[in-house]
Amino acid sequence: MKTQTPALKNYTLDHAYDEMFVDESRLHSHYEPLLEHFTSLPPGELKRRKQTADMSFLNQGITFTVYGRDEGTERIFPYDLLPRIITSNEWDKIERGLTQRITALNLFLRDIYHEGRILDDGVVPREVVYSCKQFRRQMRGLQVPRNVYITVVGTDLIRLENGEFVVLEDNLRVPSGVSYMLTNRRVMKRLFPQLFQRYAVRPIEHYTQALLGTLRALAPEGRPEPNIVVLTPGVFNSAYFEHAYLARQMGIELVEGRDLLVHDNVVYMRTTTGLRRVDVIYRRVDDDFIDPISFRPDSMLGVPGLFNAYRAGNVTLSNAFGTGVADDKALYAYVPQIIKYSLGEDAVLNNVETFLLTNPTHRQHVLQNLDKLVVKAVGESGGYGMLIGPHSTKEQREEFARRIEADPRNYIAQPTITFSRAPCMVDDLLEPRHVDLRPYILFGDKVTIVPGGLTRVALKKGSLVVNSSQGGGSKDTWVLSQ
Amino acid sequence: MYYSIRHLTKFLYGSAVSESMMETRMHPRSDTTQRCLTFHLSVSPRCRVFGYRDHLGNHVHHFDIPGEHQQLVIVAESLVEVQPALLPPAFLAPDAWKELDAMIEQGDYWEMLLPSEFAAPTDELMKLAKELDVRRKDDPLMVLHELNHKLYEYFDYVPKSTRVDSPIDEAIARRQGVCQDFAHVMIALVRQMGIPCRYVSGYLHHGREDHDRSSSDATHAWVEALMPHLGWVGFDPTNMLMAAERHIRTAIGRDYADVPPTKGIFRGDAGSELTVAVRVTPSEEPPALDQEMPVPEDWSILVEKAQQPPPAPTAQQIAFAQMQQQQ
Repeated sequence: MKTQTPALKNYTLDHAYDEMFVDESRLHSHYEPLLEHFTSLPPGELKRRKQTADMSFLNQGITFTVYGRDEGTERIFPYDLLPRIITSNEWDKIERGLTQRITALNLFLRDIYHEGRILDDGVVPREVVYSCKQFRRQMRGLQVPRNVYITVVGTDLIRLENGEFVVLEDNLRVPSGVSYMLTNRRVMKRLFPQLFQRYAVRPIEHYTQALLGTLRALAPEGRPEPNIVVLTPGVFNSAYFEHAYLARQMGIELVEGRDLLVHDNVVYMRTTTGLRRVDVIYRRVDDDFIDPISFRPDSMLGVPGLFNAYRAGNVTLSNAFGTGVADDKALYAYVPQIIKYSLGEDAVLNNVETFLLTNPTHRQHVLQNLDKLVVKAVGESGGYGMLIGPHSTKEQREEFARRIEADPRNYIAQPTITFSRAPCMVDDLLEPRHVDLRPYILFGDKVTIVPGGLTRVALKKGSLVVNSSQGGGSKDTWVLSQ
Repeated sequence: MYYSIRHLTKFLYGSAVSESMMETRMHPRSDTTQRCLTFHLSVSPRCRVFGYRDHLGNHVHHFDIPGEHQQLVIVAESLVEVQPALLPPAFLAPDAWKELDAMIEQGDYWEMLLPSEFAAPTDELMKLAKELDVRRKDDPLMVLHELNHKLYEYFDYVPKSTRVDSPIDEAIARRQGVCQDFAHVMIALVRQMGIPCRYVSGYLHHGREDHDRSSSDATHAWVEALMPHLGWVGFDPTNMLMAAERHIRTAIGRDYADVPPTKGIFRGDAGSELTVAVRVTPSEEPPALDQEMPVPEDWSILVEKAQQPPPAPTAQQIAFAQMQQQQ
């Protein structure tokens, strides 16, 4: 099969799980129509469609910002034409696993900010929770609407060599990327209408309405027509495009901290016609910067008094404060036990093996094997603050060894995992590249997961880093209805 | 013993400001050894005052003043009853360290065990720990009595020698400080031995026969450490005292940053001058409640000019850096 198709002449399999090929001679059946379609197009046609797609992204201003560089940092998010396909069986398990995980993590947050039974029972060590930089003592004893802490979640999944989906990390604070999921789909439907028709792809377009419904369900009591806004850190944030996009799609206002003010424990928005009360804030600003009275006093992006209004129940913030304690990478190691403790079930989706560096035995092992492991800072995301052992230099390893010795609580280590690979267009040919999957979970009065998510691609050959800030791209994700 | 406390705070701005937002922690606690019988908070300009109790049981009040104003005055008046204190013994049983560790294992004390913003084990602090021989020996209570004494000897009390937000290294380097510095240094030293320790903000009444070093009739700060069988025991290293009947507790926290008497922000480009005046009047019997609080002419007035802040990055640079958050 593979050898007969010229477009596949550079497509080599290795030990990573391949999303398209079972082995050298067999395709996963759900990829057959896709491969057939792509290889039947006249020469030059793919390139033309790719250009159309790029233009479309550029014209819509779908860009992101790369931090830590001085030159022009605004870029379009690289886009790959070949959709990643997930069968309905695979999705069922993902959906069950994510629903279970989010339910358990939410119960965990409720517990640690109230009775702390899971700590009393020794399932999670107190030290892990209280030493977490994202633990917010201000949240202790505070009642949140419907007991929902994590309204919007993006969980990163990867596939092991045997094809099993496992959780790489949870993003419970201000996960981004959903706008790429939605625009990827729109572009894909326009570029490949026939192919899209041939597959029964489950729709995702209702995401923004589902988000709006979720936010509305969390509005304070007695506010039947809640005024909901999106709060952004500002135009220099890498996800500013997304904040604007979501606000527009939901038909609500996009505001910055300086557009809001608190008076007598109620939040108002400054408008050209005076002040207007705000009931629900979908905030994309970190806890640290959201209120200079309750959190970091030097914040210039926040709204003074916002936390007091929240405590009084006059405004809902999604996500709640202090949710980052549950996506701390050291806490991650305990999530299977948290699921077992709070729901009495085994985790449907497994974790990746994780070494805690506060444990002297683990630390010893990790320091001796830095060239084989991946080391991550517990509170970082976006691929920052990370060491990939097999691709690192001696200096980098020495630097990380120093950092680990200085602050072991701040790091964890995991084996270097070869993520699955999916076909991507490289020049005119198809080549396999490593991919992950970030589905988006909504939790208001119920758990809603739109079928799919953002498939991120490590476009550099051999690279395992899929983060947009580190040169990753994305592709559309098709979940089949049968 | 009964105390009538009047605590005045006045902010005078160089030019009119607006949208002031303020939190105060001035409402004395009601717990084991003291009871707050009445509390009254007055604010000018007029505004609505809200309150809540935080997870440690501190009373917090907050309010906002949207319109333009050039000064902000807060008067907190309270009547507190303090029980005669049972002073802790000089020492504990020899296995007290073990009992302490067992207590920490079972209870929820981590918040007061981990380093905090102003009470962290810096290099300077660890050097001091060595110099003063602060380590696990004898029994925990003996070590703390000794430390209370040593800090009193080692540091000079010099009013205004440090600012409220000075790091402890500054006080250690100069061997002088104010009550906050004494408290922060002691908390950090005690925590690094694995003893939970917390900051207490409040008032110390100075009687005519008392010879305390700390400024009389001002807010005061000391510490409480967790001891087996005794619970939280108060030490006042500034005055080499055990916290007792003259100490009136307003709020507890990990360090000063958690419990400043006032914490606020305003819109406007103006310097501010802060005036604080405290009067603590004792009486053996409860003053009649309908009687007006004594407003003496001879308030001791502490005037602290806001100091010149260090050159800061421009607002634009800070905003830009802070926007660069992501997940």
